[in-house]
Formats: sequence, C-alpha cells, structure tokens
Amino acid sequence: MPRTARTASVGIAVALALGLTACGSSGGDDVAADKKQTLTVWAMGAEGEKLADVAKVYEKANPNITVKVTPVGWDVAHQKLVSAAAAGTMPDVAQMGGSYMGEFSELGVLEPVDTKTFQEKDFFPSGWQQGEVDGQAYGVPWYVDTRVLYYRTDLAKQAGITKAPTDWKEMQDLATAYQKKAGTKWGLSIQPSGLDTVQNFYSFLYSAGGEIVNDKGEAVIDSPEAVKALKEYGSYFSKGLSNKSVPPGYDVVKDFGNGRVPMFFGGPWHVTLLNEGQPQLKGKWAVANVPTDKSSVSMAGGSSLVISKDSEHKAAATQFIKYLTDAKGQADWYKRTKDLPANTTAWTSGDLANDTDLQIFKKQMDTAKASPSLPNWTEVTDKVDQAIAKVTQGKASAEDALKTAQSQIEGLVK
Amino acid sequence: MSTTTGKAAESAKVQAGPGTAKSPAAGPKGSRRRRKPSLGMQNMAGWLFSTPFLVLFLVFMAVPIIATLVMSFTDFGLRNVTHPLDANFIGFENYTKLFSDEKFLKSLFNTAYFVVVGVPLTIFLGLAVAVLLNNGIDRARTFFRVGFYAPVVTTIVAVAVVWRFVLDPSDGLVAGLFSEVGLTAPDFLGSETLAMPSMIAMAVWRNVGTVMVLFIAGLQAIPTEVREAARLDGAGVWQEFKGITVPLLRPTMLYATVITTIGYLNVFEEPFVMTQGGPSDSTLTVSLNMYREGFNFFHMGYASAMAYVLFVVIMGITVLQLRLLKDNTK
Repeated sequence: MPRTARTASVGIAVALALGLTACGSSGGDDVAADKKQTLTVWAMGAEGEKLADVAKVYEKANPNITVKVTPVGWDVAHQKLVSAAAAGTMPDVAQMGGSYMGEFSELGVLEPVDTKTFQEKDFFPSGWQQGEVDGQAYGVPWYVDTRVLYYRTDLAKQAGITKAPTDWKEMQDLATAYQKKAGTKWGLSIQPSGLDTVQNFYSFLYSAGGEIVNDKGEAVIDSPEAVKALKEYGSYFSKGLSNKSVPPGYDVVKDFGNGRVPMFFGGPWHVTLLNEGQPQLKGKWAVANVPTDKSSVSMAGGSSLVISKDSEHKAAATQFIKYLTDAKGQADWYKRTKDLPANTTAWTSGDLANDTDLQIFKKQMDTAKASPSLPNWTEVTDKVDQAIAKVTQGKASAEDALKTAQSQIEGLVK
Repeated sequence: MSTTTGKAAESAKVQAGPGTAKSPAAGPKGSRRRRKPSLGMQNMAGWLFSTPFLVLFLVFMAVPIIATLVMSFTDFGLRNVTHPLDANFIGFENYTKLFSDEKFLKSLFNTAYFVVVGVPLTIFLGLAVAVLLNNGIDRARTFFRVGFYAPVVTTIVAVAVVWRFVLDPSDGLVAGLFSEVGLTAPDFLGSETLAMPSMIAMAVWRNVGTVMVLFIAGLQAIPTEVREAARLDGAGVWQEFKGITVPLLRPTMLYATVITTIGYLNVFEEPFVMTQGGPSDSTLTVSLNMYREGFNFFHMGYASAMAYVLFVVIMGITVLQLRLLKDNTK
C-alpha cells in the first residue's frame, strides 16, 4: 500500500540518520591534488551524461585523477541528495540547482567556495548569487538560464504586427491580435496554478520592480509593484488570452508548433527543443527580451557545482571545477550541451558572441534576478503559487490574495 | 503465509492456530503425534524459517513505524536530517495544529469525498462486471476479463497520459463527443468542482478490475448444486441472484469493500500525476498533502503526525466496516 511505503520511507530516512549521526565535519585529511585519487561526481539529467565525456578528456590531461560521474535523474535528484546528506555519503562534487542551495547549506554538508580560485567578477551576478547563502558562497556557477519571450513571427505578421513586443501593453496587444486576427486558440502560455507557477510569474513580478522577499529577508509580496504584476498576470486569464487549466507535464513546444499557443516564456533549452522537435517552424519564430514594465527583468536559473564538506579530495575537486568553469571549459560545455555559460568571458568569442538569439539571452542574463537562497524557499513560493491560483481562477483580487500570502510568508521568514 | 518444505514446518503450521481452524481435514491426528517429542525443534525451525521475513519486517516496517510515531511528537525539520538528535519534543503540538490547519481539513474532506463516492461505485461496478462475465458472455470471456483487469496492472503514468487525452478540454475524446452533439466540453481537470469527480472516475476505472477478480473468484466458489436446487424450485434469475449469489458473496463483498476503502483513503497517485492537488487544492488528498509537507517542505514531524491521524482514521473505519458488515451476515 502506498501509505505504508511512504511512512516507511520517511521512517527509514530517520533511522538512517539516527544510525549515522557520526557524520558531520570530519574534513581534515585532504588528499593533495597531485596524488592518485578517484573523484566522485553527481550530475543531473542530460548534464550527467555529457559530463562523463568531459571527464574522459580531463582524465587524459590529469592521469592521476579518475573522475567517476554518476548521472542522476532530475526527478530523483533532490531525494537522493537529501538521503546522501543524511547518511553522510555525499559525492565529492555535485551539481546543484539554485533552489537547493539554501536547503543544503542549512544541512551543513557544503564546503564554502575557495574565493581565491573562483572570483565573483568572472560570472553573471545572478549566477553567483544562486550559489550564495547569507553572503557566503557554497557553489560555483556552472551554467545559467533565464526565461525570454518566444513568439511566432509568421502568425504575428498575419495579425498585422511585425515587431517584438517591448512592454506589457504591446505584449497584451499582440496576444489579443494573435487570437482575434490570426485565429490562435490562446494568446500567451503562462501557468495558471500548480507547483512552481511562480516561475512564470517572476518575469512580471521582477519587471514591475517587485520581489517576494527583499535583501533584508523581509516578506514584501504585498507591495504595490507585486499587486500590479499579479493584476497584469491575472488579466490574461480573465480576458481568455491564457488557458486556465494546464495539466502537470504540459508540453508547450507542441502547441507552439501547431499554432495554438503563439507566445510563451521559455529557457535556452527551448531553442534546441524547437529546432529538433518542430523543424517545420524554422524561421517562423523568434525570441525577445521580457517585455518591460519598469524594466525588463527575468528570473535566473541554472546550476552550480558544490564540494561536499566531508570530501577528502577537496583540492582535486577544486581543480576539476576550475577546469569546468573557466572560459575555455565553459565554451566547450556550451558546444556539447547548449547550456549557457555562467562565466561571462566565455561569451566573448565564437558562436556565443555572434548569434543574435544568444545575445538576447545574454542581455536578459545581465539583469536577471536569482531567488534568495532560503532553506524553506519551496514553502515560501508555494504561498505565492496559491495566491496566483486564486487570482487566475477568479477567486480573489490580486490585493487580497497577496495580502494573505504576505502574512503567511512573514511567518516563514521570521 | 507460504508453506515451507519439511514436515516440521507443516506441523508448525498446525500449531499456528487460526489459519488451520477451518481445515480439520488436515489431520490433527498425525501431526499431533509428531508434535510432542520435538516441540523445541519445531519452534526453532519455525523461527528459522521466519527469520528472513522477520528481519525485513523489523528493519523496513517496525523500526520506521515506531520512528515515525516518535517523530510525530517532535518538530523534526530540514536541519534534523543531518542532526536528528537536535529535534525537540513538542508533545501533541503537531496533532493539535493539524486540526486548525485549513489545508489539512480540506485534504481530509477531499479524501472522504473520494471514498464515499468511489467505494460504492467501484464495488457495484466490480460486481456487475463479475456477474456479467461469469454468466453472460461465453465466447470472449477471457478477452473481457483481461480487458477489465488491464488498467490494474498498467502503470499510473501511462494511465495518466491516456486520461489526459480523454479529458483534454480542447481536443480530447470527451470533448469530441460533446462537440458531436453541439456542446462545449467542460474543463474537467481545470475546474474545482469537476476535478475530483474526474479523479474518482479514473480511480474507479483502475480498480474495478481488482474487485471484479475477487467477485469472480467468489462467484465460482458458489457450489453449482445450490444454484441447481434453486432453479429446480423455480427460482428466476433475479431471485437466484438475490437469494443465493448475494448472501454467499457476503464475505467477498466485505473483503472487497474493506480493501477498496483502505486503498481510497490512501489515494495518492491519481492526483499526484494528474493535477498535483489542484486546482486550488480541490484534489489535494491526505496522502498527497503528507507527501508535500514531508518531502517538499521537510516538515517531517508534522507529516508523521498526519500519517498517524490517517492511520487512526483508516483503522477506525475498517473496524467499523468489519462490525457492520459482519453483523449483517448473521
């Protein structure tokens, strides 16, 4: 029975933790970087597989080091890392999403970044921020992503619009024109409710100058800016421009391809998905920076590389991460994965410097905003998700919904 | 319990009690003779054979069950994953908090809704299908049995894909049927009032197979003589069903109802894959709520308390069902 299984797994985690309290800061006996040793690395999804190739190249140049890469699926990554943290069996190096950072530093299993080797100025500010908790860096930015606006240029032409929308009004006008004049089912694809809806809301919230939690760690989600952003977001649903029910696991690429959804906010990976999955669309779509209210600010995502506090190979791990995150390593990584380099110098030559679409991402990255690294960030954003759902389903006004979220979040950020 | 090899095990089984009470044919005479001289040995053998199970049970069931109980009285949170001993005992605070937690109460209500509507539907349809397949269709019987059982053995992810297609408001199967007759299909999964009924429909579809198999087994256990006798006495189909099938199926009915109820009280997969509890928590069940509190927010203590409340609810309902339905058979 599922319940028993889940109760059991919660229990096992505790039992394991109880049995293995011995873990913690052992640190001390670090093996020198030039000694013969094996480095264990966990990376997620597609990165995990591609990283194994890079590791082979690295091993050739550094024969004393064997890099053992374990690809971990994104769906199980979080749970596996938590279990490993509880059991004291974290790998030497692990890939971590920005949202994990607060949690794992709270768990006390991450080694602070050696800021002599890795310097903040080499990376996008938001990339660096993602690895920081309370001003202390725990992760080196590996790749970054941000959301930009994808839109169908062919359908826009049919609707009589030839330029990319630059502000909120133009975006809504375009959405309306798509629906009215080009006969698309929807105007813009944004998520109405469910987990992580806030990710779609960020580009509205940040562009209006709002935040969930400010620099001082205070909840500010009921600010006039946030209310304005949520009103705008909600208007897409009340005007029937966006779908009120999007099932979990919805694939926007397909509907973008068949023209039902002519606009959505997407990450850099959507370029590959569109080129490979919807080849018939070639030349019929473009990317644009997030339309502005006060300014054009999108969310920053991506992954960092962390070293485990218990690792006995910190010196070698640092060198390996250095190899992956310097300009050369980053350009090579872009070629293999199309993940956007977190290191800004990597953008100054080759494809990255010449491709106009990529420059849109670059420009968006310069201002993109990372979420604060709070241990209970998931819980905080869950309250915002609920507020968004109330508005998109027509259950509450933006003011009321955010007032509720504000008081709930105040209780969480102390 | 699976029978193990060797005579010692066989007689150990006789010793075991309740299971053997119904089968006097097993020959108490023979085993009793053997039991006397080697009682200690048999005990040893019994324990030995049970060891693998017992070890697994202790490690994977008993320890976690107790650990969860202990945890439900603490404020076990994220930090305690690496420092479990730092968790504080807070008595019944988690439990009292539960009953003022709107979200929990909503999930409790949703779960009750699911059970109250889902269980009778599943039992009724399961019985109907079983009776039809047992009597009616002769030729394609196997085909239909497999057909009705297929959803049970299909993974929920595949099921979710199919149901999403069926319920898709713009180009799904149901939407197609609606537009055939000139209507617009409602948005089943996106509507707060329709999402739960949609979950129930899906769960019933998935579970009718299990109940059907139970009822088919029950139906086939009814001796043909009884039916023949009834027919000779001039009983019609309906009379036969009412006078023979239903009473003799009571034990099966009891079992099917109890396990379906327990299963539905635990419902997790359907909302997890289809709606993630939405829209606006309208399909948030207790199990899903527990999962999210535990693994998304790391309120392990709170989630454990929730698990125990659910456990008590399930136990209470099960005992009640056993009482009520058993009394009826007398």
